[in-house]
Amino acid sequence: METKSKDLWVFLETNEDGTAQNIGIELLNPGRRLADKQGGKLVSVVVGFHTDASVKEASAHGADRVIVVDGAEFQRYTTDAYVTALAHLIEKYGPTSMLIGATPNGRDLGPRLSSRLGTGLTADCTALDIDDETGNIVWTRPAFGGNLMAVIMCPDHRPQLGTVRPGVFKKPEPGEAKAEVVKEDFHVPADQIRTKVLKTIREAAGELVDLEGADIIVSGGRGVGGPDGFKVVQDLADALGGTVGASRAAVDEGWISHSHQVGQTGKTVAPKLYIACGISGAIQHLAGMSSSDVIVAINKDFDAPIFGVADYGFVGNLFELVPALTAEIKKAKG
Amino acid sequence: MNILVCVKQVPDTNEIKIDPVTNTLVREGVPSIVNPFDGYALEAAARIKDKDPDTRIVVLSMGPKQAEAALRECLAIAADKAYLATDRAFGGSDTLATSYILSRAIKKVEELEGAKFDAIFCGKQAIDGDTAQVGPELAEHLNYPQVTYGLEAAVASDGLHVLREAEDGNEVIGVQFPCVVTFTKPSFDPRFPTIKRKMAARKAQITALTAADLTGIDLTRAGLKGSPTKVKRTFVPPRKQAGVVVKEETVEASAHRLFELLSKAHVI
Amino acid sequence: MANYNAVTPEIIAELEKVAPGKVVTGKDINPDYSHDEMPVYGKKMPDVSIDVTSTEEVAGIVKVCYEHNIPVTTRGAGTGLVGGCTPIHGGVVLCTAKMNKILSYDLEDFVVTVQPGVLLQQLADDALKHGCMYPPDPGEKLATLGGNVSTNAGGMRAVKYGTTREYVRSMTVVLPNGEVTKFGATVSKTSSGYSLLNLIIGSEGTLGIVTEITLKLIPAPQATVSLMAPFENLDACISTVPKIFQHHFQPQALEFFEKEILVTSEKYLGKETFPKKLGGTDVGAYLLITFDGNSMDELDSIVEKASEMLVEEGALDVLVADTAPKLKDIWAARSSFLDGINEQFKLVDECDVVVPVSKIAPYVEYVDEIKRKYEFGVKYFGHAGDGNLHIYTCSNDMPVDKFNKQTEEFLSAIYAKAQGFGGQISGEHGIGFGKIHFLEEALGPVNIGLMKGIKKAFDPKLILNPGKVVSL
Repeated sequence: METKSKDLWVFLETNEDGTAQNIGIELLNPGRRLADKQGGKLVSVVVGFHTDASVKEASAHGADRVIVVDGAEFQRYTTDAYVTALAHLIEKYGPTSMLIGATPNGRDLGPRLSSRLGTGLTADCTALDIDDETGNIVWTRPAFGGNLMAVIMCPDHRPQLGTVRPGVFKKPEPGEAKAEVVKEDFHVPADQIRTKVLKTIREAAGELVDLEGADIIVSGGRGVGGPDGFKVVQDLADALGGTVGASRAAVDEGWISHSHQVGQTGKTVAPKLYIACGISGAIQHLAGMSSSDVIVAINKDFDAPIFGVADYGFVGNLFELVPALTAEIKKAKG
Repeated sequence: MNILVCVKQVPDTNEIKIDPVTNTLVREGVPSIVNPFDGYALEAAARIKDKDPDTRIVVLSMGPKQAEAALRECLAIAADKAYLATDRAFGGSDTLATSYILSRAIKKVEELEGAKFDAIFCGKQAIDGDTAQVGPELAEHLNYPQVTYGLEAAVASDGLHVLREAEDGNEVIGVQFPCVVTFTKPSFDPRFPTIKRKMAARKAQITALTAADLTGIDLTRAGLKGSPTKVKRTFVPPRKQAGVVVKEETVEASAHRLFELLSKAHVI
Repeated sequence: MANYNAVTPEIIAELEKVAPGKVVTGKDINPDYSHDEMPVYGKKMPDVSIDVTSTEEVAGIVKVCYEHNIPVTTRGAGTGLVGGCTPIHGGVVLCTAKMNKILSYDLEDFVVTVQPGVLLQQLADDALKHGCMYPPDPGEKLATLGGNVSTNAGGMRAVKYGTTREYVRSMTVVLPNGEVTKFGATVSKTSSGYSLLNLIIGSEGTLGIVTEITLKLIPAPQATVSLMAPFENLDACISTVPKIFQHHFQPQALEFFEKEILVTSEKYLGKETFPKKLGGTDVGAYLLITFDGNSMDELDSIVEKASEMLVEEGALDVLVADTAPKLKDIWAARSSFLDGINEQFKLVDECDVVVPVSKIAPYVEYVDEIKRKYEFGVKYFGHAGDGNLHIYTCSNDMPVDKFNKQTEEFLSAIYAKAQGFGGQISGEHGIGFGKIHFLEEALGPVNIGLMKGIKKAFDPKLILNPGKVVSL
């Protein structure tokens, strides 16, 4: 594809109600830095239905320009509608590069788009840079289950595409909304959309405690003291968008159901973040969570074995620290 | 019904260790396995065959000769026939090049089988590359509709009904043939090979497809030359440091510090 | 019954001198120390708990307790199933969990020396790194080796390799009076006096405290294959077992179980591993067999012949697990039987009788018949290769007293039957205090009398783990 500008595009994935998913705003953060280095504009590309709120948010978070494709056929993501629309826009405007959020839809869209355009895509990047010599984007991403990091460039094909997982970057500080808004009148006819949603099955609330799939787990142990104590654990989990876990001691005491148990006789988990509150770290519990990427231990006993595996530890009263941490998180999320 | 399942032989990344002296991956002694997600794709095809025994399941892999072991494993589990696309010209391919080669190989296999495939099943991602790109890229090369994050698939009068994972639950997607579906982990385990199938798999003939066999393939789109993305270098991420104890003047300050540390570590 | 003294502040001070900073009392004692994995047999908090770290510490503590008549109960990971480490007379609990170092390997003599708190899994993994295998493979991988030695733990590989007893070369023991001595030697055979070493193995912490163990290792087999043979019913499944040995197959492991308990376990794990229907027939029972050898080629012909035989004997098919992930899955389901039962039932009791292999089928028939008299459910599975059956009584709605009473009756009957068939009441879990009266019934006054004599010879003041194995 022929490059027509030095712009860096950020795909903004919208919800069914037209509001923006966080990732599209988060990526405006590195997007700004990359666009400036590339010497072009930072462009947010909004695709959805009734997308005014998204457009405003993109503008308020630093986009120089917002391109909008709005239509009923875009309300819910489909591969064909989104890939066709984005390919059309990219061919029309010829940006140098584009960032896409690595949400399930993003991972469906990104590679299809790269194949349609005959260009390179680098997935799940954890770091983004510009190579001073060539001006190409330098993409860093994990492979081999995270055991190895690869540094990748796409020197000869355009646009350079990359996906980034939610939470890797923070949203930029909001400011004045002064982006130029370009409304593209582009539609994809229904007969070109080759997949249909036949049925949706929402999870029955409260039944499934998905510990194995959770990215963040906040667990309570004997130190929590009782079922009421778990409220503090639940609040932190809620603030983080995580799942509540428990040690066997807490489950045996009847403070929480077995479906939350982590450990040798419970579930084995490997989340990105495991926060152990009032858990001593008996070997049977460690067996269930020691593969977590980052482990935080909060316990009043500095001798507790959990500190041996924790990346970050706080020795003290969990009923003081955990609510304070919950407050910090709520403050940051705004 | 004809289903083609793409499989990749990968190192078992659970067994990979880091050499503490050179800080590089230790690959010797790491067993090679069928990419687990491809195993789920094969299981999905096998379940369709359970319901309709006339279904034919063909497996295809792109790789070096040793990948035959993975293909035999698939034959022992549920596949009827295996093909291996293997040629030095294919080496060094990134996902775009790989998916292009696979698309050409599929065309050749259809020619040899004398029938077109109704569905192409793939695993969502390979556990060594972790990109999850080959499936959708392949679908684009073939110009077939795609469904990703599939859990199970069933044949219906109007095409394929795929139960897939969505962000807030599951959904059933309807798609017509021919289509590409990529699979993720369902709630059931893939089946075990039976002794009879294992014996037969051992003796089975796996058809090799070289670049020359893939008539019409544009080799500038294969291998390193055909790969838009280039790996500049790799490195082993720094090992976990010993634990940091957070202890500020006040609990609030400690909470703030912990929050900062976790944010910097990109976990919240 | 001995008279024990209360633990006074003076005694605590003496213990402090031996193990400064480690003596824990009162509310600070970890509540886990009051029981093992079968709290149904009762809980009791000790007066003092000490996480010991050396033989000298153990000896010093035991000496203080010996002088003052304080009971001493030793504990590893607390995974026992008969109340063996429950301090029913209070006193001191010594926990060996911190003595968890693998001290040294001698690969010329093929032994490894470990502290008693080393976990089975820890040693198993470490031995493999040295190209060796520690053959005993009890189900509880997070039990300590000290605990394994105390109960002569068995496990799934016993059918080919034998039990823990076969692999203990020597040990350092602290006697009930605080003296330290050594039993055994790194030799393969001995005829050098009474085997004090073998008395300790399986003595459940009542004769001495083991503070260091030298264990025999074997070269690790290079290839392992597991076969899963589904049968229409348990009878067809178990009858195959003696034939496996008659055909000279030497499986590393040979397990059988009914569909019911498998379903419980799969529900607990949240995933289905084993097929429930094959070629249109519902599966009623499964046989799980593992073969090990020097290479996959060597195993291929064994696997082929074994599979032929199994199908001839009525197996619906034979499924093969020869890759690491598949082996893990197959055995994960098997390892979770007890966890599945514990998760789904409030009241659980168990026994692990052992009967001659040829009697497994009629014994199981008997159990199936008499279980109908009782309100609780009965689930079982077994090490088919050595006739060791794990039988569980489980209930969610019976009142505790009724459950205990009926379980008592049921267990009496099946223990008696096991003896009648020429078996014993415990294959590997031990006696603790949960099974004392059954042991007395089973062995009778003559043998129990001899056991009591041995106990008195080692521990005249009866301070080591009192109330267990034999009651004095």
